[in-house]
Amino acid sequence: MPGRAAMSRGFNRLLDAVVRIDVREVAFEAGTRRFTASLGSGVILSADGLILTNAHVVSPRAVEINITLANLERVSATLVGWDHWTDLAVLRLDMDEVKRRGWKVAYATFGESEKLFPGQEVFAVGTPHGLTRTVTRGIVSNKNRYFEDSRAVNGYETGAFNTWLQTDAAINPGNSGGPLVTSDGKVVGISSRGYMGANNLGFAIPSATAKTVMSRLSKDGEIVRSYIGVVPGALQDLENFYSLELSSGGVLVNSVDPGSPAAKAGLRGGDIILLIDGVKVDGRFPEQLPPIQNLIATRPVGSTLKVSARRNGEMRDYDVVTEKLESRVGEEVALERWGLSVRKVSRTFARENQLDNELGVLVIGVQPGFPGAVAGVSRGDIITKVNQLPISSIDIVKAAHAAYETKPAPTLLETQRNRRVSLFILQP
Amino acid sequence: MIPLLTRRVLLFLAVAQLFSRAAAADAADLPVLWAERLKSVVAVEYVTETEVDRRPTATMGTVIDANGTIIIPAGSIDPRAATWQLKDFKVYLPGEATSTPGEYIGQDAFTGWHFVRADAATRVRLTPVTAYAAPVESRKIALADFVWGIGLRGKDEDFTPYILQSHIAFIQSLPQRTGIAQQEVAAPGLPVFNRQGHFVGLALSSFGQTFLQLSRGARSTAVLLINVEESSAILLADEVLPFLNRVPKTVSGRPLAWLGAFGLEPMDRDVAKFLNLSAQSGAVVSEVLEGSPAEKAGVQPRDIILAIDGAPLPQLKPDTIVVRYIEREIDRRAPGDVMTLTVLRGMERLDLRAVLGEEPKLIREAERKYFDRMGLTAREFVYGDAIERRVKAAEPSGAIVHYVKPSSPVAIAGLRFDDWIQEIDGVVIKTFADAVAKLTEIERDDTKPEFVMLVSRINETAVLRVKLR
Repeated sequence: MPGRAAMSRGFNRLLDAVVRIDVREVAFEAGTRRFTASLGSGVILSADGLILTNAHVVSPRAVEINITLANLERVSATLVGWDHWTDLAVLRLDMDEVKRRGWKVAYATFGESEKLFPGQEVFAVGTPHGLTRTVTRGIVSNKNRYFEDSRAVNGYETGAFNTWLQTDAAINPGNSGGPLVTSDGKVVGISSRGYMGANNLGFAIPSATAKTVMSRLSKDGEIVRSYIGVVPGALQDLENFYSLELSSGGVLVNSVDPGSPAAKAGLRGGDIILLIDGVKVDGRFPEQLPPIQNLIATRPVGSTLKVSARRNGEMRDYDVVTEKLESRVGEEVALERWGLSVRKVSRTFARENQLDNELGVLVIGVQPGFPGAVAGVSRGDIITKVNQLPISSIDIVKAAHAAYETKPAPTLLETQRNRRVSLFILQP
Repeated sequence: MIPLLTRRVLLFLAVAQLFSRAAAADAADLPVLWAERLKSVVAVEYVTETEVDRRPTATMGTVIDANGTIIIPAGSIDPRAATWQLKDFKVYLPGEATSTPGEYIGQDAFTGWHFVRADAATRVRLTPVTAYAAPVESRKIALADFVWGIGLRGKDEDFTPYILQSHIAFIQSLPQRTGIAQQEVAAPGLPVFNRQGHFVGLALSSFGQTFLQLSRGARSTAVLLINVEESSAILLADEVLPFLNRVPKTVSGRPLAWLGAFGLEPMDRDVAKFLNLSAQSGAVVSEVLEGSPAEKAGVQPRDIILAIDGAPLPQLKPDTIVVRYIEREIDRRAPGDVMTLTVLRGMERLDLRAVLGEEPKLIREAERKYFDRMGLTAREFVYGDAIERRVKAAEPSGAIVHYVKPSSPVAIAGLRFDDWIQEIDGVVIKTFADAVAKLTEIERDDTKPEFVMLVSRINETAVLRVKLR
């Protein structure tokens, strides 16, 4: 019954399932551990208190998560798992406390995002700018929006494996993680982002994606994906050049990450992938790329894909053995006595920056006046050795820092920046 | 009747004149010296010709010999410009509206100076600055010494000369002996003199000065301002006079000595102390370039250079100056010269004997060709490109996009400056000649609606579709 949402039982039940989330996170950017507070929204989706929200609302950096329920009471929650690729995170309410205090927790149910149509009425519920329990109304503007970004979720990559719902229901900061629902209160999306400065261009993760991610996160705490290192491009308008029939589909290989499984197998930029394991792939348009990426990602790590690609008019098969997909962002730690925050160089980061190997930690924050800053270490330096010891894992740098904490002594750092090697001494 | 304020000013001027007369009593009249020495300075104008425009540049130079040879500062010509792009050199005498043709001779790598020669008619009107050089023993310059120099106004004012004067505030090794005056003392590239009119040094490009910029309602911000017309930094005469004979033999400035130790980074004092090298400096070698003299000499990445031909690297301020010191040691030598490097590798000290080579072809020397209809200049892939892109320098490697014309077909397709051309229309581009052949074929074909380029950029490739019609 469009336009009469508030009257429906489903919608009322949904309102009871929407929560406000207050988070305190640790941040490492300033060369020290700092805490930042932020807020977002979420929706309870199971009787045992599982909450779905955005990965950019609650990440593993969260140290304190407080949930405000529909009855305006507060209860804490813990992070079950997060997935920045789809910008989703799953939390678990402290059900012991809920029971102890005799509250009832309502939960919402998923609707089918595939069945939405452009123009269909939808509602966003959440906490825009801290205004708890705000309902805004709009329509589905587009059900298949392509949006990929390499650092949109607090510096992490997102959007490679799913498309987004676009809506004109007002989505403001604080709406993040709240549900996008149909008039019967079914969750068809998780509101995620809006264009700042634009009018009513909001985006949500479709429930089709959210359902899968939620079930896997609540089961395993993480989502493991496969990676082959192909950066796809839309084939749009290039069919003629490659003498392809429109019906044959195909995905353009725009780029191949150096050292990746695809590079090892011999694929390179300009190749056209027509089949993966004998199945036709069609990536003529950007919107078609995330499902193809997802097809590769959902294969078990270490499996062999038979990629059939065309180069200069000739077809060839390539056996590509998948690796585990990794973020560019590695583990972070604050080395407080040195006044340095560092992040482990990941395989992806090393490839992106043409480093010879994954040795070292990237300096992401420097505290003025501390030994690191005094020695001349700056943001963006990669510390490759500490006291001549190669930093193959973040534990090595943690151990050196711990040793300095107990017995401060001059410490030699070897750093690299734009391929230039420098030496620095941390003086107690 | 003269207003009170003006009278006071006049009185002040009269008193000031008295003082300056008294101080200058032992020296020749400054305006006379100034008028004489004007014959050692000129303005030089030239045009840089690019694919789509001609950019004029005016700079200033000092006359160094009786052949009308003029040196202009390193920074007055864009180092990326090919010498054949530099056209129409003109020489203007101070205060004159007409010019005479000049000839570009080339750049000396060691001093950085560009050399230009005036024509025969102009030569006779010039006096080399060496005519004012003091004998070696009396070239000493000290703190608080009075110095003066010449500035030239812009072309619209016929490069009218004017006088600047100041005192030496301090003297520093950068690594060359450099005097810094209290205020601007000459236009960059022009000579500086003492009270007797002796040549004291050559004005360098000026140092930046930090100012606070205040704006209503907002917080003040610090801004660095650089005076491009006048300078207070002076390269002292002993760093100038012995090198005036370094007139390039070729317009390319070759031969150029080459070592091939890339990314020299200074070692600071704390590190030196940690490595038990207290009284001296050093520089870390970041990479050793493929096929270079350094590689043949056995230099390895992360070696720390401690001495050259047995002379320990000096401790200079700031630390980064030691890198300039090493570069100058290379530049002052010629290909074929031997340079013994003492390096620290781990805990071991090694003497490595490097025979300097000839610098591989530079980007500004690379062959280029402009394709107007498509809107790009392709350039030969040179050694430096291989180093930058981490590929084997020995292998043929295609072509680089040197210029993209705004709003041209290739610009609309997304081609960018410095893209590395891998394939054109599915044909692998192995050499510059391949690229030129393929692009010429496309440029000539009026019926061709589009073509496809595969380019590599940073660490990625991109397929670009260029619509021609």
